Amino acid sequence: MIKNRLRSYTGVRNRGINPSGFHVSQIKFYFILVPLSIVMLLPIIYIFSSAFKPPDELFAYPPRLLVINPTLKNFNDLLSRLSTSGIPVSRYLFNSILITVITVAASILISSAAAYALSKKRFKLKNTLFAINTVALMFVPIAVTIPRFLVIEKLGIFNTYWVHILPVLALPVGLFLLKQFIDGVPDEVIEAAQIDGASDLVIYWRIILPMIRPAIATIAILTFQAAWNNAEISTFYINNESLRTLAFYLSTLTSASTTANTVAGQGIAAAAALIMFLPNLIIFIFLQRHVMSTMSHSGMK
Amino acid sequence: MTARNQPRKGISLRAREALHGYGFIMIWVIGFLLFTLIPLLETLHYSFNQVVVSATSINLTFVDWANYSRALFTDPSFIELLIGYTIETMVAVPIVLIFAMIIALFLNLKFKLKGFFRVIFFLPIVITSGPVIRELTAQGAASAPGIANLPAVADFLAELPRAVRSPIEYLLTSFILILWFSGVQILIYLASLQKIDKSIYEAAAIDGASSWEIFWKIILPSLSTATMINAIYTIVTLSHFSENKVIQYIYNQTYNMQGGIGYASALAFIYFAVMIAMMGIIYLLLMQWTKRKSR
Repeated sequence: MIKNRLRSYTGVRNRGINPSGFHVSQIKFYFILVPLSIVMLLPIIYIFSSAFKPPDELFAYPPRLLVINPTLKNFNDLLSRLSTSGIPVSRYLFNSILITVITVAASILISSAAAYALSKKRFKLKNTLFAINTVALMFVPIAVTIPRFLVIEKLGIFNTYWVHILPVLALPVGLFLLKQFIDGVPDEVIEAAQIDGASDLVIYWRIILPMIRPAIATIAILTFQAAWNNAEISTFYINNESLRTLAFYLSTLTSASTTANTVAGQGIAAAAALIMFLPNLIIFIFLQRHVMSTMSHSGMK
Repeated sequence: MTARNQPRKGISLRAREALHGYGFIMIWVIGFLLFTLIPLLETLHYSFNQVVVSATSINLTFVDWANYSRALFTDPSFIELLIGYTIETMVAVPIVLIFAMIIALFLNLKFKLKGFFRVIFFLPIVITSGPVIRELTAQGAASAPGIANLPAVADFLAELPRAVRSPIEYLLTSFILILWFSGVQILIYLASLQKIDKSIYEAAAIDGASSWEIFWKIILPSLSTATMINAIYTIVTLSHFSENKVIQYIYNQTYNMQGGIGYASALAFIYFAVMIAMMGIIYLLLMQWTKRKSR
């Protein structure tokens, strides 16, 4: 009875006889959700198909969603360019993987610890800090490129691995989202743990982190993308070619080739975009389970 | 022996909690100061100067508000870009919010394949950042050019005054693009929908409330915090989007001989002020809304 009542609360009434499995009355959900989810899938289908498009289809206007005569030519062009580069591609790949892994792990730890303090601890500067963070969230990152360069030079991390990692660790967006989720963890849970003698570190590690797993997975996906796709740091703060990332390398490849040969350049760009995109998709597929599953029974009221 | 039972000298319980709080946040504060706040203040300083970068040093000449007045009164394109951006954002934010809320309400129901749909609607977060969206906008695939160019629609649009026309045009051409920006927002709505105590629905149903009333009186008010968060998040993602025209303009000005870093810094601060203003408007509207609802 209660279950049936619960089901009937949203926009569509089910008259309390909703079966647990599929029912004709549910078809209307699919009528709305299926078309919309196709819209959501379009870009991914597009990115896959355009990587396999021959030149004439790439330049067709209006652009066509699906490829008609799939070809591996774009990938071959890309490969032949890779073999002519001075530094082996594996070097760029290694840099990208190392930097991305460290950045994601460290930024989650730092942001979530800070978010925990801002959300659940009482101290003077708490509200001021969060307000400053929210305002800083608004500021355009490209405008601070040059002042940031001065800081980096003063710290002596110009042209090292550190410059890839340190500047992106304390990003306002992560703190902003994580704090909102930690706000949702009931104070009673923390008080109960304190009464049981748990220290702050234990509370943070054993209670807060598991309870906000969906948020952490979300932030992990976002930071992964930011780190993996970052070509700017390699452009501005790195002189040494062997310390640059795959994203940077692929972007130079495509932009240099567009001036030389536009037709091949577009194809290479499409293939490179797919290669850059795949890890994002893989991470998403790995982490979406955490985002989705814990959301339904996270102990939050 | 007795000292052990007494609180340590000078540290009260409250001070200790504050200390722990600072301990947790310390690393983040240092990083934030070094790489965000200090560069930001430096940019503010630049915006009042003519900045000339040479190989060895950076030379500043104080010019007072000249950069700002140039941006606001003489620059032919910046203001136009900024107005365009403001209109687009003001159109996009409500659409993203409403769309995300509706989808979240759907995904909170019980039906088959729910998990699958949740994943699909969360998927855009891997699209909107990075190479995919660049590729898509570069090829013009993110817009639906067909609709706005249909003769009937085009005639209708031409009748309208410009102030009304441009938001509608934007809506028609970028509707799909707007939808792609709602991945995280759907997630935030879903999370706060699940925080609503189920027994409230029960109580309301027993009191004879229809599902429509339950939506307006229970669900919507309890989503107000999530709506604020989502509004902020949407504005930020739209404004930092790499294909955003204002961003590209500021970026080009930075390396422009005539403008330079000082001018670009001033542009960035004007942009920043516009974003804060939009945020303020949305905040006030939402405050009004939650106040009325709770009455």
